[in-house]
This record gives sequence, structure tokens and C-alpha cells, in this order.
Amino acid sequence: MPLLMPRWVAPILIVAFAVGLQWVARPLLGQYAERVAMDAGIAVVLAVSLNIVNGYTGQFSIGHAAFFAIGAYTAGAVTYYASLLIWNSPVAMGLWSSQSVIFIAATILGGLVAAAAGWLIGLPSLRLRGDYLAIVTLGFGEILRVLLQQTNKQLYTREELHAAKLGELIPPPIGGSLGFINVPKVANLFWVGLFVGITLLVAWRLKKSTFGRSMIAIRENEIAAESMGVNVTRLKVWAFVFAAFFAGVAGSLYAHEVQLTPQDAGFLRSFDVVIMVVLGGLGSITGATLAAALVTVAGEWLREPTHVWHLFGLIAIIRILFWPTGRLKAAIWWAGLIALVEGVRSLAIHYQVDLGEYRMIVFALVLILTMILRPGGLMGTHEITDALRLRNPKRAPTGGAAAGEPTEVPA
Amino acid sequence: MTPLLNVNNIGIAFGGLRAVDGLSLQLEPGDLQGLIGPNGAGKTTCFNLLTGVYRPDTGDVRLSGECLLGLRAHQITRAGLARTFQNVRLFPHLSVVDNLKVACHLRTGQTLAGAIFRSAFSRREEQSIDHKCRDLLDRFGLLARADEAASGLAYGDQRRLEIARALATDPKILLLDEPAAGMNPQEKVELKSLIAKVLADFPVAILLIEHDMDVVMGLCRQITVVDHGCVIATGAPAEIQRDPKVIEAYLGVPEETSA
Repeated sequence: MPLLMPRWVAPILIVAFAVGLQWVARPLLGQYAERVAMDAGIAVVLAVSLNIVNGYTGQFSIGHAAFFAIGAYTAGAVTYYASLLIWNSPVAMGLWSSQSVIFIAATILGGLVAAAAGWLIGLPSLRLRGDYLAIVTLGFGEILRVLLQQTNKQLYTREELHAAKLGELIPPPIGGSLGFINVPKVANLFWVGLFVGITLLVAWRLKKSTFGRSMIAIRENEIAAESMGVNVTRLKVWAFVFAAFFAGVAGSLYAHEVQLTPQDAGFLRSFDVVIMVVLGGLGSITGATLAAALVTVAGEWLREPTHVWHLFGLIAIIRILFWPTGRLKAAIWWAGLIALVEGVRSLAIHYQVDLGEYRMIVFALVLILTMILRPGGLMGTHEITDALRLRNPKRAPTGGAAAGEPTEVPA
Repeated sequence: MTPLLNVNNIGIAFGGLRAVDGLSLQLEPGDLQGLIGPNGAGKTTCFNLLTGVYRPDTGDVRLSGECLLGLRAHQITRAGLARTFQNVRLFPHLSVVDNLKVACHLRTGQTLAGAIFRSAFSRREEQSIDHKCRDLLDRFGLLARADEAASGLAYGDQRRLEIARALATDPKILLLDEPAAGMNPQEKVELKSLIAKVLADFPVAILLIEHDMDVVMGLCRQITVVDHGCVIATGAPAEIQRDPKVIEAYLGVPEETSA
């Protein structure tokens, strides 16, 4: 059995986490770091939700940004136009204003609309798998991007809104290819922390439930799962619905942080999320969380060249800590790698080259190296709780030390 | 009285090939029957027809009088027909006990919301599933490895786990597709006693596809022999062994008579 806490503990921890982020961490962070932290949180929600489709059920969706954009535009439009109608201004009010109620409602609505789209997209997944499904999801994102470009121009005042004819409201006035701006910027670390926590909790409980187990069984062997009585089609669609809902929530947070453009539904963002999930390890919530946070923060952090080797160090520590076998080998690998990076850095300083400009290359290199060294992702299929279980030799997640078998020697 | 499983004249054709043609058999509660035949005779296809992987072109399949035709594979399993596979199909990254728990999913009364909010009912049911599965593992001698990944088990253990997993669906009929395939003589002896024990301990009837004559003849009360999709003989092991058609199917026709 996994660690069993009373079920009210986690929700309290989530609220405490969100409060801590907003009122303890934020004053220490500064504006720039705050924005990075929010982006990281949104990325975590996206990666953990995509992980439900790609990681649990083993389908391959590369259109996650579509659900993200649906949630973003829906929630953004609700808050923007509601604020315009009620207060005649889209200015963001404080956390304790009634605008927060609208924001929460808009976020949930954004999630639900995205979930409905997820259901629709989940249906072809009944017949398609692998590359074919991937192409469908990719196509969906691109269709949505084009549709968003064809929407009506944004209305900026209450008067315009009242005077608007039907043709200006359908398709919805969300800015077309110019983008959708001035959504009240009510997202903050509290909300991001709260929704990150909720997403993690739901993803975790789903995974550890009979439904999650069955989803993973589909990934492991679809024919056997079906033969063991698992309703494969229904669970595949549910995976899409769950994933799309939280992608929509992430979209809502994003909409209330920055401005939206149709590009947000495009495949570049979808690929970012896929990279996070693959990097983290398929099916691992811990992995998806770490990878999403790392990728987002690293992307900003690496603008500063001296930070390059910090990144390697951090990944090295995580990898050595959570890789049950071959720690020595792992340590040597990473020591060599860090030495290499450090060498390049010294050379760059000597020849006055700004490594920050090459950060995307460094970033891509990290991805390539991770895939070579650890094709299963940072965490493989493990969770952070597996590390706790290791202390009890009878509860080893894999391999031999239990039951008196000879321990596997890493090759 | 209607038999527990009544397979009546089922057949399927793939293009011009009649893979199974007019196959019938009956299973009574507590029965242990064998389905044998040369390679490519249509045995596994027959299992696939019974379990809803394929839909028969002709005939029907009734479990306790209820027609199973047109049901999807997971619905047939819920109706009480569970199978193992010729090539082991476990969930390799799931733990041994979780492999069994997946098989309990079809009888769950939980809702998704109940599972997410960890309702009292969900927690109780999860606990009883855990007990049930560990008890089942205990009977199969796998309890010590319950929390290890299924892929780490020895081959013979993986085969046993597959049988345990099929039993976790609470079946009325257990279909075993070549359970002895790839086993060494020692493991085959253990398998035979295991199958006898399953029959004694669980309220199931077993239909067994097997190439190993030692296993089939030692275990089964009745054997159906198929060749080219047709039943060529039915009877007790001793009769089957003497049946000229069976000998012909397995050994071929002597050259002078075929010419």
C-alpha cells in the first residue's frame, strides 16, 4: 500500500502551499522570478495533465496546446467581458474582490469546455493509435489555431459591447489573429499554486485508483487489459477528458497572466509539453512535475551563462538520488559531463562568447543527452514515493533484493 | 439442463480461409476439457471467437444460456469468461499485485468521483481488493513478490501470475491458451498440480489448449481435437489416443494411402 494519509491532509497542504507561495515566497522572489514561477506552475499543470493521456494510457497526443488554448480563450473571454459589463473596466482587482469569484468560475468553465473538446478528440482515439492518433491531435491543434485567427475583433468598451450586432459576436469577439489582450491579470502565485496542487492531487489519486491502474494496464498491454475486463475505449476517452480539463485550467491561468494569440494553440507549445512528459518519464507524476519546472525555469535561467552548469548539477543530483541502480556509474557520467560543460564555459569566458545566446542549443543538448543516458526519462515509471519505499527491502519497486534473490548487477 | 458453456457450430472465415468451421463443444461446471490439434488448426482462433476478439460468422456461444455473440471482449470477461494468452501478456511495469488488481476493475462499484475524492466506499473497496489479490497471490505462491514489478518474475511465475490474474476476474470459465508452453519438465509438473488445485479451489470450468500431450492427457477428462478448423474427434484421452483421424492429423497419412 502507498503512504496513506487521512484524505483531508492533502487539500490542507495544497492551500498551505499556495498561501506560502503568495505571501512568503513571492516577496522574496521579485517580479521577474515571480513570473517565471507562475510559468513553471502552468507548465506543471500542462505536463501532469498530458501525462494522463500519454503516460497513463500510453496514447500519443501532440495536440495538448489546443485544450490549453480553448481553456485560455474561454476563461479569458468570460473574465474580460464580465468585468467590462459589471465594472466597465477590465482592470484587475485584488485577490479579495468579487472578480476572483468570476475568475474561479471562468477557470472551471474553461476547464469544462476544454474537457468537452477532449471528449470529442478522445472519440477518434477509439479507432486510432500510435502515429495515427498523434496526427489527429496535431491536426486538431492546427484547426483550432486557424479558427481562432478567424474570430471577430475584440470589443474594448461596454458601449461597443452593447452596440455590437450579432455578426460581431459570432464568431466570438476574441481578437482574431491580432490576439486577445487586456484580460484582467488576476492570476498570481496563490492561484497558480492552488491549481498546481489540485492537479497533482487529482492526477495522483487517479493514478493510484482502480481507474488509473486500468489506464496504465492499457498502456502496458491493451489486448490483455481488454481481456481482463477493462473497458479500454471508455478509459481512453476519460483520460482525454481529464487531461483536457486541466489543460483548460492551465490555459485560464495563462490567460489571466499574459495576452493570448492563436499561436497558443499551435504545435510549438504542444511539443514543449510532450518534451516535458517524455523527459520526466512516461506515467511518472513526479517526473512530469520536475521536468516541467526544470524546462521552464532552465529556459529563463540559461540566459545567464554561469547558470548552465548549475542546471547540470541539479539534474545530476536528482538523477543520482532517484536512480536505484548504478549510482556510482551515474555519478561518474555526470561528473564528466559537468567537467565538460565547465570547460566550455571557461573557454567561452576566455574568448568572450556569450553562452546565453546559445542557451537553446544547450537546452537541446540536455534533452538529447537525457534521452541517450536515460531513455525512460528522469524518473522512468517511478514516483518520489518509491524512494521512500526503498527503505523497506520487501517493498522494492523492481528488481531482486527482496525474497532472497541475488541483486541485479548493473551492466 | 443447459450446459454452463455451450459453443454451437461456430465458424469464422478470413477471406477464403475457414479458420474455424462448425466447432461445437459443451462445458459443465467443474469440467476440465482439452482443445488440441496440430499447429494452425484453429485452436487459438477458437479462443478468440469465444472471448470476443473476433465475432463468429456462424453459430452461437452461450454462457449459462445467455448469448455472448456481439459482446465486446471486456463484456464477455465480465459475463464470466476469462483467458490467458499463448505468449505471456502481463502488465510488465505494474507490480505483481497490481496485475491482479486490474483484473478486479470489472467488478468495481466505484465511480471516478468516488476514487478522486477517496470516498469511504472507494477506500473500503480498495482494501477488500487488496486483501482478495494478496490472498490469491498467496495461493499461487507469489505473495512474497507481490510488490515487485511483474517483469521481474521468472517465466514460470509469469505464467502462473497470468492464471491468477484471470481468476481475479471471478470467472465461471477459465480459458488457458498453452499454459505449459516454454516450461521445463519441473515447471510442467507444478503446472499440472496447480491446474488441479485451481479446479478444486475455485468454482470454474477449464478449457485448455495445449500441445504438451503429457499435460493434456494427464489432466483432461474430455478432449476435443481440431484440424483445419473442424472437430475431428471428441472423447476421453484414451479414446483420442487411439483415434485414427487424430493420428492421421498429427502424424500425416502414410505415403502409399495418400497416393
